[in-house]
Amino acid sequence: MLGRHADNLFWMARYLERAENSARRIQSAFLHTLTQRAEGDEEWAAIIRSTGKSDAFATRHESVSMTNAIDYLLRDKSNEDSVISLLANARQNARSVRTALTQEVWQSLNESWMTCNTALKRPVNIRDLPSILENIIKGSSVFRGALYGTMLHNDIFNFLRLGTFIERADNTARIVGARYHRLLPTAAGALGGADQSQWEIMLRSLAAWRSYNWLNRGHLDPSGVASFLIFDDRMPRSLSFCYREICTNLADLETEYGRTHASGQRARNVLQQLEDGRKKDIHRIGLRDFINGFIVDNNNLSLTIASDFNLAP
Amino acid sequence: MFDEMLDGPVLDGSGPDGSGPEAREPYRALLAWLHDQDFRKLSKQSLQAEELFRRIGITFNVYGGRDGEERIIPFDLIPRIIAASEWRRLERGIVQRVAAINAFLADIYHRQEIIRAGIVPSALVHGNKAFMPQMCGFTPPGNVYTHVVGVDIVRTGPDDFYVLEDNARVPSGVSYMIENRATMLQMFPELFASHRVQPVSDYPKQLFRSLAGCARSFIDNPNIAVLTPGIHNSAYYEHSFLADEMGVDLLQGSDLEVRDGRVIIRTTEGTAPVDVIYRRIDDEFLDPLSFNPDSVLGTPGLFDAYRSGAVMLANAPGAGIADDKAIYSYMPEIIEFYMGEKPLLDNIPTWRCSEPDNLAYVLAHLSELVVKEVHGSGGYGMLVGPAASKRELAAFTRKLKASPASYVAQPTLSLSTVPVLTRSGLAPRHVDLRPFVLVSPEGIRVTPGGLTRVALRKGSLVVNSSQGGGTKDTWVLEA
Repeated sequence: MLGRHADNLFWMARYLERAENSARRIQSAFLHTLTQRAEGDEEWAAIIRSTGKSDAFATRHESVSMTNAIDYLLRDKSNEDSVISLLANARQNARSVRTALTQEVWQSLNESWMTCNTALKRPVNIRDLPSILENIIKGSSVFRGALYGTMLHNDIFNFLRLGTFIERADNTARIVGARYHRLLPTAAGALGGADQSQWEIMLRSLAAWRSYNWLNRGHLDPSGVASFLIFDDRMPRSLSFCYREICTNLADLETEYGRTHASGQRARNVLQQLEDGRKKDIHRIGLRDFINGFIVDNNNLSLTIASDFNLAP
Repeated sequence: MFDEMLDGPVLDGSGPDGSGPEAREPYRALLAWLHDQDFRKLSKQSLQAEELFRRIGITFNVYGGRDGEERIIPFDLIPRIIAASEWRRLERGIVQRVAAINAFLADIYHRQEIIRAGIVPSALVHGNKAFMPQMCGFTPPGNVYTHVVGVDIVRTGPDDFYVLEDNARVPSGVSYMIENRATMLQMFPELFASHRVQPVSDYPKQLFRSLAGCARSFIDNPNIAVLTPGIHNSAYYEHSFLADEMGVDLLQGSDLEVRDGRVIIRTTEGTAPVDVIYRRIDDEFLDPLSFNPDSVLGTPGLFDAYRSGAVMLANAPGAGIADDKAIYSYMPEIIEFYMGEKPLLDNIPTWRCSEPDNLAYVLAHLSELVVKEVHGSGGYGMLVGPAASKRELAAFTRKLKASPASYVAQPTLSLSTVPVLTRSGLAPRHVDLRPFVLVSPEGIRVTPGGLTRVALRKGSLVVNSSQGGGTKDTWVLEA
């Protein structure tokens, strides 16, 4: 496969995953704002901070409010990480590799871009926000379904999946990293109401609120939430889950191309670190450094994949 | 005015249920079918078809349009029908003409007998931007210059067909021919049960075979690729469609590299060779070392690799000299010179404004004529005399006087009409036809049908999609 095509596929999947993640974060922050008015604006500022966009945001708006944060995150074309920019970029990549995608995969992407473009033409009315976000997430699900159901599971598929899971691991790590202090045990071991709501936001923005509660019968504790999001192999957005998938897809490529790559070894190393971390007490791994180290490793893996497979010219 | 469906005068807004003139032979069954249709339902289906095009992404970009705006070409669902006997005549004429075009190119880039014979003036060739001296003395694989040609044909009466222009560089529109048919099959399967329509869907396979046939002189089983300027090109959808249907890579210039005299692409497994490039970019953007040094689309060294026989380019660089509008006026003589027979398809009489007598005539009759830029395309820079305002006529008079050699003029033909579906019923609109022709050492093949372009504005003669034109499915009936 052409290196540029692999690059387009890899990034197309990353953009789509990022758009979905962004929609989920807005969804959970929105719910939080409606129910916990006091902390509302701080939550929006935190989202913008965690995407590294505080300065860029400040050039567009004087202060952070729910309305202008939503506008910036969803429909501001000057923000390359706004949902509208991400979908446009994903679609542009898909157009560049039309020959690598099935009609159904392309159409799912094209349709969700068309829907989103129409819905975000004008500033969002708060009343429409839930259905707009739902549509973005649904578009992502349809894309995934078409991908699994109609694409050959070959190298094209592998590059798409690699993009998805590298982006997803990054997102989960950033969400945990931004709140690691809330996951540390307090001196009293007591659960304040504010902490509770923070964990709820975190879990909801990773589509994991219900599954966590189901697994733990409603019992919320900080170390439980942390190890669930980092180590639980059953949870499709945990770091361990993402790295199992990354390793599988890189192994497929090694089989398909009949040679080993530096990226395969790098990914296995990260997975090993996760395995080692799981065995330790979550309080003893140094959560902040662990997460920050992971984000760097994950980014390096992305670069190694690019050089292993001629992704960039 | 000749209507291809109806024998007799056609009125705007005559509903499919209305009584009117009789249908011409090839349209009898269609007209009967139209009588049974619910007009409003048809209109709704028309919208559905366009929605389908949008979802599939059959769009084109308008240059200079709002940021990256994509449009669909309006699709009219009343098919245009050509009888088998009419098609046989057209096909023979097209094959003759395309064979002559290739002979002309081979001659122009070698001994130039036609110039020595005093038939085509030397200045017209050597002073032409489309003439490429770098091609002189070089014979492309299979001696084929124009692997794909689009011949634009207009009709003015039951037996009167004219070639409007030849497209010997990178003719586009073939994806619409195929998608229009696919759409009609999906929407009106019953029509294909009552009509035996010759298929067009195997065009991409034929293209593949034809290209491989040309390359056979230097390689069996070549690696073929389509070369596109990129996703912002107006015909990008078509480029990806053809690559997809042929099962080959769709490349951009930056994907290609010339290494040790060979043309390669960088792949996820290393590198891979490319033997045949069906390029959909213009000559001047192919190779910054040989042509336009500012080109960011091209591949350095590609032309040298081509001349050394490492890769085949389709169409050959320099083929554009054959579809130049000034050369066009010599086509009847060109056909006679190389084929030894009279042209089977007529040219439209053309005044070359470079000649003083012609210029004087054109200036005196401007309001009756169509004036075209010699190097223009896409319906831009064109004057339709009868439809022009006094001011436009005056402006064109100035342009003609300033640069007469840049223009040719032709009579305003009364183009045939075919009904289209409008809000108020059926209405006649002017059409042309672009059949697609594949050339290889094994022969010249014309896909039965082609792209019918229709001027959707009432009375308009300009069918270009950039100027409000639409398309129709074109049926050639089995004998």
